[in-house]
Amino acid sequence: MKLKGIRLKWSYLVIVAAVAALAVVPLFANRYYLDIAIIIGIHTMVTVGLCLLMGYTGQISLGQAAFYGMGAYFSAILSKTYGVSPWAAMFIGAAVTGGFAYSIGIAVLRLRGNYLAMATLALGIIMNIVFTEAASFTGGQDGITGVPYLSVGGLVFDTDRGYYYLVWAFCLAALLVSRNIVSSRTGRALRAIRDSESAAESIGINVLQLKAKVFALSAVYASLAGSLLAHYWAAVGPKPFDFLFSIKVVVMAVVGGLASVWGAIFGTATVKILGDWLHEFGEYQVIAFGLMLMIVIVFMPRGLWVHLRSRVLQWQRRSTRRAES
Amino acid sequence: MLSQEIQYFITGLSIGSVYALVALGFTIIHTVTGIVNFAQGEFVMLGGMVAYFLFRFIGLPLWAAAPLSIAAVTVVGLLLQRIAIRSARQASIVSLIVITIGASILIRGLVGQFWVWGREAVRLPYFTGEQSLSFLGAAVHPQKLLVLGITIALMVLFHLLLSRTPLGKALRACAINKRAAGMVGVDARAMSLFSFGAAAALGAVGGILIASQAVTSYDSGVMLGLKGFLAACMGGLSSQMGAVLGGLGLGLLESFGAGHISSAWKEAFSLSVFLLFLIVRARRLPASEVEH
Amino acid sequence: MSEPILEVRGLTKAFGGLVALDKVDLAIRPGLITAVIGPNGAGKTTLFNIITGVYKPTEGEVTFQGRSMNGMSTPERVRLGIGRTFQNVLLFKEMTVLENIMAGRHGKSHVGFVDAGLRLPNALREEERISLEAIRLLNLVEQGMHADKLASDIPLGQQKLVAIGRALATEPKLLLLDEPGAGLNAIEKRGLSDLMKRIRDMGVAVVLVEHDMDLVMRTADWVIVLDCGRKIAEGTAFEVQRDKRVIAAYLGEDAEQRYAAG
Repeated sequence: MKLKGIRLKWSYLVIVAAVAALAVVPLFANRYYLDIAIIIGIHTMVTVGLCLLMGYTGQISLGQAAFYGMGAYFSAILSKTYGVSPWAAMFIGAAVTGGFAYSIGIAVLRLRGNYLAMATLALGIIMNIVFTEAASFTGGQDGITGVPYLSVGGLVFDTDRGYYYLVWAFCLAALLVSRNIVSSRTGRALRAIRDSESAAESIGINVLQLKAKVFALSAVYASLAGSLLAHYWAAVGPKPFDFLFSIKVVVMAVVGGLASVWGAIFGTATVKILGDWLHEFGEYQVIAFGLMLMIVIVFMPRGLWVHLRSRVLQWQRRSTRRAES
Repeated sequence: MLSQEIQYFITGLSIGSVYALVALGFTIIHTVTGIVNFAQGEFVMLGGMVAYFLFRFIGLPLWAAAPLSIAAVTVVGLLLQRIAIRSARQASIVSLIVITIGASILIRGLVGQFWVWGREAVRLPYFTGEQSLSFLGAAVHPQKLLVLGITIALMVLFHLLLSRTPLGKALRACAINKRAAGMVGVDARAMSLFSFGAAAALGAVGGILIASQAVTSYDSGVMLGLKGFLAACMGGLSSQMGAVLGGLGLGLLESFGAGHISSAWKEAFSLSVFLLFLIVRARRLPASEVEH
Repeated sequence: MSEPILEVRGLTKAFGGLVALDKVDLAIRPGLITAVIGPNGAGKTTLFNIITGVYKPTEGEVTFQGRSMNGMSTPERVRLGIGRTFQNVLLFKEMTVLENIMAGRHGKSHVGFVDAGLRLPNALREEERISLEAIRLLNLVEQGMHADKLASDIPLGQQKLVAIGRALATEPKLLLLDEPGAGLNAIEKRGLSDLMKRIRDMGVAVVLVEHDMDLVMRTADWVIVLDCGRKIAEGTAFEVQRDKRVIAAYLGEDAEQRYAAG
């Protein structure tokens, strides 16, 4: 019990330190780094949604880009074309995307493992074709430009610094909500489904419905993230919502640890920073992602973040034991 | 009008043959190891690309470039099994999916980045010369018939291999129970290796055959993989005959559909059919009949 | 005798051409421990899977407290009061022992995504209540010392008791135990027998499928014998032991087993 108490305090300390670090980043970072930090915040929301679905519930999705894109396009189309307020557009988008994911989920989540992976892969590609081809709504390949900025009262989020705080407020909220869910009755039910669907049913869990709900939650996260992206760039196009992004989300979740909420930030940041760095030499990103997926799953199935953290804890325990003796 | 329909029919069969070859690859790996190899489509892409490289840049004749390409892709398949699949012992289904997806985008990335012609789409000449035959008023290219013939021959070959030979018996034993197979002296790892090699070779054949009818590029593996998987599903992922019939059916559907639906939406259409098929299939299975 | 809590009438289940259950009629009464026995392939587990709604019957009907359950899903049946354990235990192996039991309280609690995600006061209160109830159940099955261990890290015999605790957490009126004694040593079996009697005395109708005849004879108040999908006998343990058809069914199997082993 004592050990647990200490570890709990440690994790709070780490969280406080992380939040403090996040808060002061904009005071030092230039535009380039600020941009990276904003994108990391946005992508982390998508990643943590996939962690809930894949790591905690054991259901794979290779189509998260579909929901990310839906959020972005809903925001852009509603606020630019129909003049809806950006905030309303964002939340309408999230609600519709969540409802869409729920109904797709009820149909598709009966499938297991390989079949589910293929079905979600197909879903992602279909939605990307819709983004590209339904040109009268989406602007086709050129997309939509001039998407209005988000604003609160008189404060318009058109600077990177302001937007940074907005994005990270959303991102941390998503992470906290996820952490709370994981350790709750619902989180136990999700993990029960992952470990044994038959046993989960035998204690009264409506497996299909709960899977669809968590699928919808992951879609809402992705949709909100997509909206944040659309209002940040003030533009959308089909490219950021393609098949490769769905795979990238899997890479980010795997690197952070599929069953680790805080790992999502780590995984996303690692993949984003490494990807950008590699980009300077050419298109090495995809190669690196492929290698990372294989290496992490084979050698650190719980993810790089969880792996490193348990190493640190081991080292700590060993050193306290040495200090005691 | 009739000639138009015949044209569609023949084209459908030859495109469908390639889907069938991809599907055969899926079924062989799945039968032996229970794994669905998400890199199967990349084998097809790689087959076409390597053959093109040998033909255009090294200057080999087609009859030499094709078998060399098949051999090279087979080696890639064997390496995938040796390096990645074997290291992940007792991995969950989700982990195995992630590993083969990793392999898939690794291959795609390597081809996109390092191949001599970068990201250009390529096309091989026909094996049977550029001359086409006339059949009931339709211009039918003999290669399309060749493709169908090769596919059916390979299906029969693999079916006989699995059902009639001692090797086939060993392969199927692994599928049923790996440990029991091991106890009676079957080397499950060798069988798994064999299945990946065979699937890669089949994929490469498909890739070479399709590279002369449609353009191939570094990113064409995903769609080929999805369609091959759909075809394989029709046979329940374990029947060679079902895989080939599924592939041919899908090819015909696309070929006749292409005339009526705009080509941009064609892919969305066939993928929606795929989704619907999976969903209907899942509805027939009770929610918790099987425990993994 | 009291009204049956569960009645099975004309139950038939065929898998393709294989008939696993053939027009079975039986009744389970509250306040009793009923054992369903029979040689391998007699249809015992199939019977459980139909009662819990995992399989749909080919023909026939199952009624619970006088209500037909045809077409009900497993979770709906759990809500009515049918709990079960599995032959292969199926604990949630990456959760702690206590969490396994807490998961069992799922149907008796309500907090969903929103309340839990925002840590609303009602969510915290309910969580507190769930963990108290789970600790009580864990003590009932005498596994309190393992509360914080991963379920997969404790011995099989104790996993089986935890599984019973998890099923009890759903507050069943009818508890189906699928081979609870398999893999247990003699001392553990005695403990299991006592536990089943305690559960019966709490007013739960206990049904067990079991191969260990000593355990059945020591524990069961009523015994139903299945063979090749048919009910061939029922009665008290004493009566059934002397039934000619039962002896024939078991002798047949014993002879076969001896043959196979030799």
